[in-house]
Amino acid sequence: MQTLYAGLAEIFEIDTSEVGPDTVLADHNWDSLAIVSTIALVDEICSELLDGAALGECVTVSDIVALIPQARAA
Amino acid sequence: MTAATASVPGDRPRRGGYALSGVALRGVVCATPGAPVDNAVIAKTLGDQAVADVVKMIGVEARHWAAPDQTSADLCCVAAQRLLERLDWAPDSVDALIFVTQTPDHPLPASACLLHGRLGLATDCQAFDVNLGCSGYVYGLWLAATLIQSGCHRVLLLAGETSSRLVDPTDRGTAVLFGDAGSASAIEHDPNAPTMHFRMGTDGTGAGALIVPQGGFRAVDPDRAFTIDPSRLHMDGGEVFSFTLREVPKLVAATLADAGLEGEAVDAYLLHQANRFMLRHIGKKIGATDDQRLPINIERYGNTSSATIPLLLADDMAQRLTAGSARLMLVGFGVGLSWGAVLADFGPLACAEVISA
Repeated sequence: MQTLYAGLAEIFEIDTSEVGPDTVLADHNWDSLAIVSTIALVDEICSELLDGAALGECVTVSDIVALIPQARAA
Repeated sequence: MTAATASVPGDRPRRGGYALSGVALRGVVCATPGAPVDNAVIAKTLGDQAVADVVKMIGVEARHWAAPDQTSADLCCVAAQRLLERLDWAPDSVDALIFVTQTPDHPLPASACLLHGRLGLATDCQAFDVNLGCSGYVYGLWLAATLIQSGCHRVLLLAGETSSRLVDPTDRGTAVLFGDAGSASAIEHDPNAPTMHFRMGTDGTGAGALIVPQGGFRAVDPDRAFTIDPSRLHMDGGEVFSFTLREVPKLVAATLADAGLEGEAVDAYLLHQANRFMLRHIGKKIGATDDQRLPINIERYGNTSSATIPLLLADDMAQRLTAGSARLMLVGFGVGLSWGAVLADFGPLACAEVISA
């Protein structure tokens, strides 16, 4: 999970400590570029390809985590 | 021609892979319009920050835009004239002309017919258009190779686009990304040419991810709310990206398997220049991370649709391909959604150059 948070922090251009399950995506420019970066990030960490449209509907970081099967299982 | 098949348990045999021999690429010339247009020009419309954000990901620093009176056919015509001259091919020695474009001169006739006339080709030469984009160069090579196997001796493959006419200048996702270019490739029968391994595919259910909704003969859905002009290019970047990550590594692996090769045996992967971030990510997945094995030129030309792969051949690979031969995998993917790859030893080429149009 820390790897995911660190990656998201890089995408949002904020400190890793500022990223948690309740982080609101809309506060950090959650646009198509951020979505594409997140698809690549999750693919790299757990070889899981997230759906762009589903990511677009996420509100918080926990919504993203919920899309990742390995994360759900853990 | 032999079809490469591999059984998938509980499924029909996998198709889409073909091995062709006796076909050689002789030369490639690309033509770019005018002077390069740098990002500062686009920032005047979109703002510095918006452009900087996009550029960080897609990596485009400059691109060429066609003049208002300049079409894809014009760019390809200039490239083809230079190519014929360099190869010393008489126009009447060409048996077929294929023009791959989504920005033709007119709804009809096929721009290939207009180009046939402009290039002074013989009346027993066939000419036709192919409406494909990012995957179009590989499809064009495939068609050229099958024509050669059917008895044609020489085929001209022209592939080019003026996407600058299709993008909405206020849509930062596409306005910064696309560039214009034309290309001409010469393909000839050669009994000694090494085998080419082709593999192609399509997912029409994803057609909406890259589309110009208006301008054809189907009325635009009146209930659909468009954020940009429906006669302009609509791109769902996230969908295109997931599709690419899903299909391209599979395509590369299947094409290697068709040829019975390991990835290390490939000297360079020439991937459609879709987006620098995406190219580097795919490069990691297929084990090609340095610029010798994964040349990237999107910073200079942008995404030129069907012309990106010929631009890699005629620019980044020019020295290696005119001096000798290289084992290359050419991979196109995008609008359709459509994809294709060809793996073969290419070169030495009699010419590989980029000229100004």
